[in-house]
Formats: sequence, structure tokens, C-alpha cells
Amino acid sequence: MASHGVRRVTANQVRTEQARQKELQQITEYKDLVDLVNTKCSYKIAEIQYTIEVLALTTKLLTENPEYYTIWNHRRRILQQLFTPPSASDSSIPPSADKSVLDFVSDDLRFTFSLLKQFPKCYWIWNHRRWALKAGESLLQTSIARQLWLAEFELVGKMLRADSRNFHAWSYRRFVVAQLERIPASSDMTGSSTDADKSMVEAEFAYTTKMIKTNLSNFSAWHNRSKLIPRLLDQRQADEIARRKMFDNELSQIDVAINTDPWDQSIWYYHQFLMSTLSPTNPRDSAIMLELNNHDRLRYYEQEIGGIRDILEDETDCKWIYESLLQYAPFYLEIEGGTKMFTTLDMREWLSQLRRLDPLRKGRWDDLERSLSL
Amino acid sequence: MSLVSGPGRGGITDDRLPHELRLFVDKHVCYIQSLDTRKDELEYWLTEHLRLSGLYWGLTALHLLGRPDGLPRNEVLDFVMSCMHDNGGFGAAPGHDAHMLYTISAVQILATLDAFGELEERVGGGRQKIGQYIASLQDTTTGTFAGDEWGETDTRFLYGALNALSLLGLLDLVNINQAVEHIQECANFDGGYGTSPGAESHAGQIFTCVAALSIAGRLDLVDRDKLGGWLSERQLKNGGLNGRPEKKEDVCYSWWVASSLAMIGRLHWIDAEKLTKFILNCQDPELGGFADRPGNMVDVFHTVFGIAGLSLVKYAGLVEVDPVYCMPLAVTKRALGKLK
Repeated sequence: MASHGVRRVTANQVRTEQARQKELQQITEYKDLVDLVNTKCSYKIAEIQYTIEVLALTTKLLTENPEYYTIWNHRRRILQQLFTPPSASDSSIPPSADKSVLDFVSDDLRFTFSLLKQFPKCYWIWNHRRWALKAGESLLQTSIARQLWLAEFELVGKMLRADSRNFHAWSYRRFVVAQLERIPASSDMTGSSTDADKSMVEAEFAYTTKMIKTNLSNFSAWHNRSKLIPRLLDQRQADEIARRKMFDNELSQIDVAINTDPWDQSIWYYHQFLMSTLSPTNPRDSAIMLELNNHDRLRYYEQEIGGIRDILEDETDCKWIYESLLQYAPFYLEIEGGTKMFTTLDMREWLSQLRRLDPLRKGRWDDLERSLSL
Repeated sequence: MSLVSGPGRGGITDDRLPHELRLFVDKHVCYIQSLDTRKDELEYWLTEHLRLSGLYWGLTALHLLGRPDGLPRNEVLDFVMSCMHDNGGFGAAPGHDAHMLYTISAVQILATLDAFGELEERVGGGRQKIGQYIASLQDTTTGTFAGDEWGETDTRFLYGALNALSLLGLLDLVNINQAVEHIQECANFDGGYGTSPGAESHAGQIFTCVAALSIAGRLDLVDRDKLGGWLSERQLKNGGLNGRPEKKEDVCYSWWVASSLAMIGRLHWIDAEKLTKFILNCQDPELGGFADRPGNMVDVFHTVFGIAGLSLVKYAGLVEVDPVYCMPLAVTKRALGKLK
């Protein structure tokens, strides 16, 4: 979209006449290629040339400039034409046609993969890949289409190893999962497979575990986990004991992480997610436990507030600790008005520490002071 | 009349910045004006697919700098109209396919130039045509919007549709309630929003969702304290803002984060003075324009969002910006007021 992270050259590095001439030559070559592709693909003229040769020209141009979205559109129009040769257009696709469609789709998967390695955040490339697979699916045998979708995990895995926060790659992963959950595992199972048979939620949950073990700071993985757990429990038809066990496991895991590195905000956000599921107004589709009473809530608030306070013995300069205490304190007070655990004086102290450690957000702490009547 | 959107050529780097930081208005005006004269640079041609948006960015920056006549009005109008397709959509440049992104930019430019009358003179029923094109991209099963006939959906397109349709006075062409429901499905536990249901909160998408809710009159659905808290944590020690936890700062988030905070009444939850300093440090003081970070290549995209960010925090001498539209507030008031 724009130049991110490219250093500015200084005035004395202005290009020489020779470099200027070279650039002018590049411009001429680039513009000639653009004109050639656009002329052959213009839908305003009668003789549109949707051929393999023109397809190759779009490959060349998109390699030079993958942001040129109109050329991706040309490419899709060409492929649509090549997918349905006139002789086969009025009958069902004969099995022999599978190969050529598969070849085209496979070519585009290879092509977009090589581009994504260079341009991992280019929307148009990801978009074209989705289209190629969807278009292929409508023309190929279900089993072959399914194989193609399955193979996408290799690409996503590579992209996320290169940048574990690439939100294009995470979105694409969720998209691929949705496609595989839509397509039955084998064609003869159509109609007989249950949602649980097709669901990939267990595998995806395991993937987030793997990603988090590699790097605790990966908020993208924590986020995905927050979306998967409620689905996972529903699908397992988990009873309340199993649900509570899941919650306790997640909580103790994140408590260990907080104790190890209280400066990592990804971890605190996941802790906030878990605690938010305790609220009586938490929506059903993000629920972990289903039968909570105020006694349970109080116990969890006490346990977490107590645990977080304990970190203060070793670490007094980490603002996330005070911020979390002040965030959870009102929930506790709402149920337990007696403030057995902490006093208003404690809360004032936490707030003054926040002001000391985090002056950037002074306005927020002012508002917090008012809302908590401190 | 069009503008190149790619990187600029260099001036001095950050270590030589003057001690007294200030906004180099004249330099930025010259930089934006020079963008159409750079046809001897490959970058000019490689960024043709952004041209119409580049024009919106440059024109808006000039208006916010108080130089609304910085670009020749008729030439701008001619270029915009040369990008229009028979179906009512606009492409990035002549010969480029119609797409939601450029259709929004076209409408924003027409509104800024107060040129909807001229649109009708040049294309009979032009306003309705544009509205119909945008409305045709709503997905009637989910309520969200596609970018074009190829079907990519994203909350960016949903926001763009509501932005442009409201400026055209044609919001009734689409199902607003369904669009609002879709935004709610994109909401996350942290108060933020993603590109689609299930996606991670991201400051850019938060801007699109909160602004869309604002246009729909449904800001009551936002958890202001929760979202405000998350957005305020985007400010880093150097004063700059990032787009997600544990990411680097970038001038464009000065807009996405700060405008979202402004829409929910929480702009005072970040340090405006430090943000101002960070943005000013991203200027090229010699040749004009803003970069993503100090010392990097400038471009017109970061230039408008840097200036708009400064306008939000009331930098002296700048025209007031509308946080919902990223256009001068006087312009959106005029455009929306005419419809009442």
C-alpha cells in the first residue's frame, strides 16, 4: 500500500544521470508490458485474447507488480475461459478435463506462493489464492479439491513461521478450516458425516498450543485460542466438570506465564479473556463454564487478585500488575461488598503506582479514579 | 491530474532535525503538488493502482493544511470522472477495473470539492449510479460488503460503503441493520474488532467498525471503556501508536487509533503532546511529506494520516478533521447538512 520501513536516502544520494536513464528504460519496458496485457484483455474490443500466452504475460506483469489488481482480474477471466473449453461447456465436465483444470489451479498455487514469500501482506495475492481454490473446487472431484485445501496448511505453516503475527495468514488459516469443515472427508460420506466428524477445532486448538509454546508473546495465537475453546467444549459436549477443568488448566497455564514474564501484554490480554468469561453477561458463544454462581466467581476473583498481588513481592515496577488489580477489583467488590481482601486504601495505592509508571495514559487514570470513587 | 502514491526521494535524515520541532506546511504542500510531476520514476507507474486514493489523500492533506486550492480543481475533477465505469463504480485510474476502495475515494473527493452537481451534469443520474454500484456489493446473507465482483469481503469495505453512501445521501439503498449485526459478529473480548468474524482485533479494522457504527448511529453498541483501554495501550514510550499488541509504532496508526478514541470520547486517554512530537519527527523537513517512522521514506498515504492525526490533537493552524470520515469537518457538515 505504501512504503513501510524503507529508509530515506539523503539528498547527496540523488540518482546519477546514468541511473536516471536506466530507470527511464525500466519504465518503458514496464509500460509496454502493461499496454500489451491490457490490450489483449480489454473487454471493450471484440477480439479478446484469453489464451495461455496472455496468461503467461499476466504472470510476468504480476511478478513485477502484484498490487496491480486489474491484472489479477484479467487473469481470473482468462482462467475462467480456459477452464471451460467450448466443446465441453454444455455437458458435465468429463473426467479427463480434471487434469487440465488441476494443472491450472496448481500452477496458480505455486505462483501465488512464490509471490507471498516476497509480499506476505499483499491482499490481492491472498485473495487470488482463495479464488483459484474455490474455482477449482467447483470443477474438480471433491476428493481432489479436498486434497488441495488440505495442502494449504503447509503454506500457512510456512507463512506463520516467517511471521507468527501475520494476520492475513491467520485469517487464511481460519478460511481454509471453514472450507474443509464444509467439504465431507470422502464423497460417499456425503450426508452421513456429522458436524463433529468434519470439525477441525481439536486440531486447530492443538496448533495454538504449539504456537504458544514456541513464543508466549504471540497474541494472534492466544486470540485464536479464545475463539476455539467455547466451540471445542460444545463439540465435545463437555459437562460442567470438564468445562471447569478446561478453565482451570488455562488459568493455571497463564498464571505461570504471568509469573515468568509480567511485562508481556499478550499474556495479560489472555488472562483478561478468561476472567471476562466469568461475567454473568458473558455471551453464550464465548462461554467456558455454564453453571457459575457468585460463590464460584468470588473464589476465582480472590484467587487471581491474590496471585497477582503476590507478584508485587518481586516486581514493583510493572504497570500491568496494578492495571489488572484495578480492573478485577470492581468485579470482586460487586459481589463481596465487605472488601475483605483489599481496602480502598490499597486501590488508591495501586492507582498512584499506575500514575507513576504510566504517565502517558494520565487521562485514563483520572477517569478511572472518578469511576471507582477513589 | 493525479498523484503518485509511492515513496519519495530523500531530504535530510532524522539526526539532523532542527531542535525546534514544527510542522513544515509549505514543504508538505510542495511535496503533494510535486507528486504528479514524477513520471520519470518507476514508482510513479508501479503505484498507478492507487492513483485515485492517492488523490484523495493528497487533496485531504492540503485541505487540512489550509490550502484547499493547492491542486487545480478542474483537473482533479476531470481525472476522477475519467476513472468512472458505466456500472457506477470507479477504478484506481483510467483502464483499471471498478472497485469499492476507489469508488469511496471518488465520492470523498467529489464531496470535498462540493462537486455532486457537476457529477450530475457530466453523468445523468450519476449519484444514483454510484449508490447502486455500492449497494450491489452488499452480501445479503451476512450483511457485509465485497470489494468488487470477485467477492473478497472485509470490514474495510463495509465502512467504505457506509461512508460513501452517507455522503451521497443514499444510505437507504442498503440494509444497515444487517451491516451492524455483522460488525457485532466481528467484535472480540478485548472490545476491538477484526476483518471478519473470528479475526484478531486490529486498530485499522477498529477504525472501520467504530466509524461504520457511528454513521449507522449505533455507537451505543461499543464498550467504550474496554475498547478505549485497549486503544490507549497502543501508545508506546516514544509517543507513537501501534496497531496491535507487541507491534512497532507507525504514523498511520496516529489516525486509526486516535480517530477511534475520538469517536468514543476517549482521546484524552493518550498523551497528545508525545504523539505530536512523534508525528512531527516523521516529517521530511527538506522535501516535505511524512514517513511511517522517523528517517524513513515519505509517501502521501502517511502524509495525510500524519496531518490528520495532528489535526485530531488540535495542532495549531490546522483545519479540524472529522474522525469518522477523515475529511475536513466543515466538508462533511456541508455534505451531510445538505441532505437534511
